Amino acid sequence: MVTNVTNLSRSGLYDWMAQRVSAVVLAVYTLFLLGYLIANPDLTFEQWHNLFSQNWMRIFSLLTLVALSVHAWVGMWTISTDYLTPMALGKSATVVRFLFQTVCGLAMFVLFVWGVQILWGF
Amino acid sequence: MLDSSLSSESGFEQVQDVFENPLVKFITWGVLSALLYHLVAGIRHLVMDAGVGEGLESGKRGAQAVIVIAAVLIVLLGVWIW
Repeated sequence: MVTNVTNLSRSGLYDWMAQRVSAVVLAVYTLFLLGYLIANPDLTFEQWHNLFSQNWMRIFSLLTLVALSVHAWVGMWTISTDYLTPMALGKSATVVRFLFQTVCGLAMFVLFVWGVQILWGF
Repeated sequence: MLDSSLSSESGFEQVQDVFENPLVKFITWGVLSALLYHLVAGIRHLVMDAGVGEGLESGKRGAQAVIVIAAVLIVLLGVWIW
């Protein structure tokens, strides 16, 4: 009987891979944005506005938002299943862990939707 | 902040003004430092997944390298923010 239902997929290996792939996307986006800001010390509004107006940047940012949600879910799931355990919390461990994961999931969804609104709403 | 920075010239300037605040600079530096460390350590994990640096000695060297690299980047980050 499968007792592991709160991880991202049903197989640990898939989660492991998804976290690595999403990590690469996040690393590339982070380095790109930090590099862009460092390379443009006197950044103007037009420059910044044009960057995010280009579709490739919007798509890249959306891809990063998805990758962030995947990365965060697998990461927080790993942390919660490592530490919010019966050994640590006794009987209520499962409920606490489930609530924790729900809060993480909700926060992730809100940030994702907010991100999409910003990217396509300005 | 991202939304206001993209919405208009004044919104952009508002965000710039926020980042003049020393407390905001300090928090930004803290959050970005954690990100940089996580990024460097993450890259080390990817390297280890490729089979490099998984031994006892090489693993230890890898961990020490991460701390040194991350520390240097965090200092540079501080210089750039201030």
